[in-house]
Amino acid sequence: MAWISKNWTMSGIIKGLIVTLKHVLHIGNRPTVTVQYPYERMKLSPRFRGLHAVDENACIGCGICEVNCPNSTITIVKHNTRWYPQVNIGMCLFCGICVDVCPMNAMKMTGNYELADYTRESLVYGPDRLLFNKEVKQ
Amino acid sequence: METDELIINMGPVHPSTHGVLRFKLRMDGEIIKECTPVLGYLHRGTEKLGEMKTYLQFIPYTDRLDYMSAFPNNYAYVKAVEELAGIEVPLRAEYIRVITMELNRIVNHLVSIGSLLLDLGASTMIMWGFRERENALQLFEKLCGARMTFNYIKPGGVREDIPEGFIPQLNEFLKDMEKRIEDYEQLINSNEIFLMRMKNIGVISAEDAINYGMTGPTLRGSGVDYDLRKYEPYSIYPDLDFKACVRDECDSYARYIVRIEEMKESLHILRQVVDTIPEAKIVSNPKYGVAPMTGTPSAVSTYFPRIFTPPTGEVYSRIEAPKGELGFYIASDGTTKPYRVKIRSPSFCNLTAIPKMVQGLKIPDLIAAFGTIDVVLGDVDR
Amino acid sequence: MTANAYELIVYILTLLGVYEPILNVFQVLGIEYIFKILIVLVEVGILFVFVLLTVMFLTWMERKVVAMVQARYGPMVTGPRGLLQPVMDGVKLIGKEDIIPAKADRWIFTLAPFIVFIPALLVFIPLPFGQSLIISDLRVGLLYIIAISAVSPIAILLAGWASNNKYSLMGAMRAVAQDISYTIPLALTAIAIVLFTGSLSTVDIVNAQSGTWFGIIPKWFIFLQPLGFILFLIASIAEMGRIPFDFQESESELVAGFFTEYSGMKFAMFFLAEYAHLFAVSGIVVTLFLGGWTFPILPFVPAMLVPLVSLGIFLVKTYAVIFFAMWLRDTVPRVRIDQLLNIGWKIMVPLALLNLLLAGFLVTAGVF
Repeated sequence: MAWISKNWTMSGIIKGLIVTLKHVLHIGNRPTVTVQYPYERMKLSPRFRGLHAVDENACIGCGICEVNCPNSTITIVKHNTRWYPQVNIGMCLFCGICVDVCPMNAMKMTGNYELADYTRESLVYGPDRLLFNKEVKQ
Repeated sequence: METDELIINMGPVHPSTHGVLRFKLRMDGEIIKECTPVLGYLHRGTEKLGEMKTYLQFIPYTDRLDYMSAFPNNYAYVKAVEELAGIEVPLRAEYIRVITMELNRIVNHLVSIGSLLLDLGASTMIMWGFRERENALQLFEKLCGARMTFNYIKPGGVREDIPEGFIPQLNEFLKDMEKRIEDYEQLINSNEIFLMRMKNIGVISAEDAINYGMTGPTLRGSGVDYDLRKYEPYSIYPDLDFKACVRDECDSYARYIVRIEEMKESLHILRQVVDTIPEAKIVSNPKYGVAPMTGTPSAVSTYFPRIFTPPTGEVYSRIEAPKGELGFYIASDGTTKPYRVKIRSPSFCNLTAIPKMVQGLKIPDLIAAFGTIDVVLGDVDR
Repeated sequence: MTANAYELIVYILTLLGVYEPILNVFQVLGIEYIFKILIVLVEVGILFVFVLLTVMFLTWMERKVVAMVQARYGPMVTGPRGLLQPVMDGVKLIGKEDIIPAKADRWIFTLAPFIVFIPALLVFIPLPFGQSLIISDLRVGLLYIIAISAVSPIAILLAGWASNNKYSLMGAMRAVAQDISYTIPLALTAIAIVLFTGSLSTVDIVNAQSGTWFGIIPKWFIFLQPLGFILFLIASIAEMGRIPFDFQESESELVAGFFTEYSGMKFAMFFLAEYAHLFAVSGIVVTLFLGGWTFPILPFVPAMLVPLVSLGIFLVKTYAVIFFAMWLRDTVPRVRIDQLLNIGWKIMVPLALLNLLLAGFLVTAGVF
C-alpha cells in the first residue's frame, strides 16, 4: 500500500508520544494544573459576579434594578420598615445590569458562587440574606 | 441476498453531537446514504426575546447564543445597535473589545480542536485545550467578573476599564500559548492516524461552500479568502497586521489547520493590540450615559443609559465570529425595544452543509467532519 | 528446581515440614487425590486473586497515566493517591440496578459477560510469571493462549446480538471483524518465535531467551525479531481493543459499542475482562519477545529467591508494556474501521509472512 511506504516510520505518532511523555515527566514547564476543588479554591477576581449583596443603608428601594433586570429576577419586598430587593437566584443571569443601573451604588455582587440548593424556594434570596451594613460616610 | 436499509437516529443524546442535535441517518451497512440533521432541541426563542427586552437587557442573552465565544456575540449585537443609533466609541474601548474577541477566538478554537480530537478518540487534546482555556477564562474573569457569559461590551464602549495586572497576565498568556500551540502541533499535525482520518474526508468544494452559506474557518478551509475582518473591516482591524488563513484542500484537515493558524494569527493580533493600546482611560461614550448620581462611583462605570432609544430604522451588521459570519438584523421602531431581531448565526449555516459533506462516507467520517464544522447548538437553535 | 507452581507449593510445604504429615492423613483416609486437588485449587485461587487485584490496580493506573499526560492528578480522594478508587467503582457498580432490556434475549444477554470474563482468566494458566511460577506448563501453551483469546469475539457477538440495539450490533460486528483479522498476524508472528524454540511451551520459550550474546545483550527475541515484535505489539493492542483500535466501544460513534445496554455487575465483568486481557496480552508480549522472567542478573541471585526475583522482573517488564499501551492510548486518535481492516489484511498479514520468512532464514543459518 502506498500509505505504508510513505508513513512506515510513523514519525508523527512518535513525535506525539514524545510530547505526551514530556507531560508525564513534567519536562519543560508542563506542570499539573488541577485545582482540587473542595479542598483548594482558586482566587476570584474582585469583579467576580456571584451572589448579590445589598447595602442596607444605601438602598432606597427605588426598584430600578427590578425594572432593568432582563429576566425579572428581582422583586422589591418589604423588610422591617424599608423596601429592599429580593433576588431569585434560580432565574438570575448574573449579568450585572442591576449593579450597573443602581443609582445609589447599593447593589453589588459578591464572590459567592456555591449557590446550589435543594429546593426552589431556598433559591429565592430575600433581603434578610442579601443585606449587609456599610458605614455611612459623612 | 436481500438487504435492508438501516435507519439510525444519532442523537439528540449522543456523545459526539456536541449538544442536542439529532442526525437521521439512512445507512447501507456502515455507509451513509442520507443524513438529515434535525434541529430545534435547544430552541429558546432568543429572537423573540430580543423583541421583548430593551436594547441593554438583550445583551446578556447574546452571551448564550454561542456560549463558547460570547464576546463576539456581544460585540456583534452592540455593533448593530451602535450603527443603528450612530454611537461613537472611544478608541481604547475598541482596543479592549478586540482583545476580548481575539482571546475568545483562541478559546473557541481550543475547544473546537479539543472536541474534534475527542470525537476521534484522542482524549488528551481537549484536556490540554481546557488547561489553556482556563488561563484565558481567568483573564476574562479578571476583566468582567464572569467566565463564560460576560455581558461586557455595551453600546458606546465597554462595561469597565481593564483592571490592574491584566496586561502583564495577558502577556504571560501569550508567551505561554505560543509554546502550547507548538505542543498541539507536535501532538496532532503529523499524526498518521489523524491524517488518515481527516485527509479527503468531508470534502466540500469552494462553490458548494459558498452556496450553502458557509463562513468562517469552514469556508476558508475550502480555499475561499473571505474574512470579514479583511473584507469588511470593522473596529480597529484595518490598523492591524494580520492575514486571513486559507487552505485549499477543502477537507476536514484543511479546516483543522485553518483553526490552528487562526490561533497563531490571533496571538499576533493580540501582541500588536497590547503594544499599541491607548493610554487614555476612557472606555465608554459619555454622551450616551447617565453620570453616577450619589455615593462613591465604584469601579463599575455607570455611563450606560438605562433607557436607550435609537431612532427608527433598520440595520444589518455582521462580524467575523470565531465560527463564521455572525450577523444581527435589528429593526427599530423608535421605542425602547427593537421591533425585530434576526440573528444570522454561523453554526446554523455551516451545519446545513453536513448532508452534502458526508454523503457516501461512514459514521466515523460523519463524526470527524461534524467536529471540524464546529457548531455550538445554542448558536444553531437560538 | 521445581517445574511449576504445584511443585513449588509441595516444595515449600516440605520445607516447612508439614507436607508428609498432611499427606499421611489423606493417605490413611484413602483420599490422596483430594489433597492434590486442594493444592491445585489453592494455586489457582492465588493466581485469580492476584489477577483480579492486578486488574483493579490497572484501572487505577490507567486513570493515573491519562491524568499525568493531561496535566491532571487523577483520583486523589479515596485512599492514598486514590488507590482505593477501583474498590469504590466496584461498590458503585454492584449497587447499580441490573437492567435487562425488554426486547433483549435474556439468556444470551446474561451469559455473554461470563463467556467474556472466563477466557480472560483462563489465558493465565500457561503464562510463566516467574521461575516455577506457572500453573501448568502446557506443551501447546502458545496455541492454547491464542485459541482461548479467540473465544471472546463469540461472546462479544452474543452480547451485541442479544442486546437488540443497533449500536451494540454494529459494535459487535466490528469487534469480531477486527479480532479475526488481527489474530492472523498475531499467530503468524508467534509462529516465527516457535521456529526458533521448536516448542509451543511457554516455559521453553522463556528458557530459550535466558543467557546473553557477548555477555551484554540478553538473548531476547526482540533483538532477533524487531519487526515481529512491532507487529505482535500492534496486533495485540488491536486484539485488546484499545485506542487506536477500540472499535468495539468507540464511544463517539457507537455510544459504547457492544456493551451499550449493559449495566451493573455485568458491565463490570466486561470491564474487568478488558483489563485482564490487557494484563494477559502484555504478559504474552513479555514472554515471547522480552525474555519473560529472565534477566542477565538472575544467575547471581541465590536460588531460594529466584522465584520471587523473577516474578518481580516479569512484572516490571509487563508493566512497561502496559504503560506503553496506556501511553499510546493517550496520544493517538482512533483509526476508522475500514482503515483498520486494510491495515490488518494488506499490511500486517504480508509483513507477518515476511517476518516468518526472515525467521526461517535465521533459523536455517543457525543464528540461534
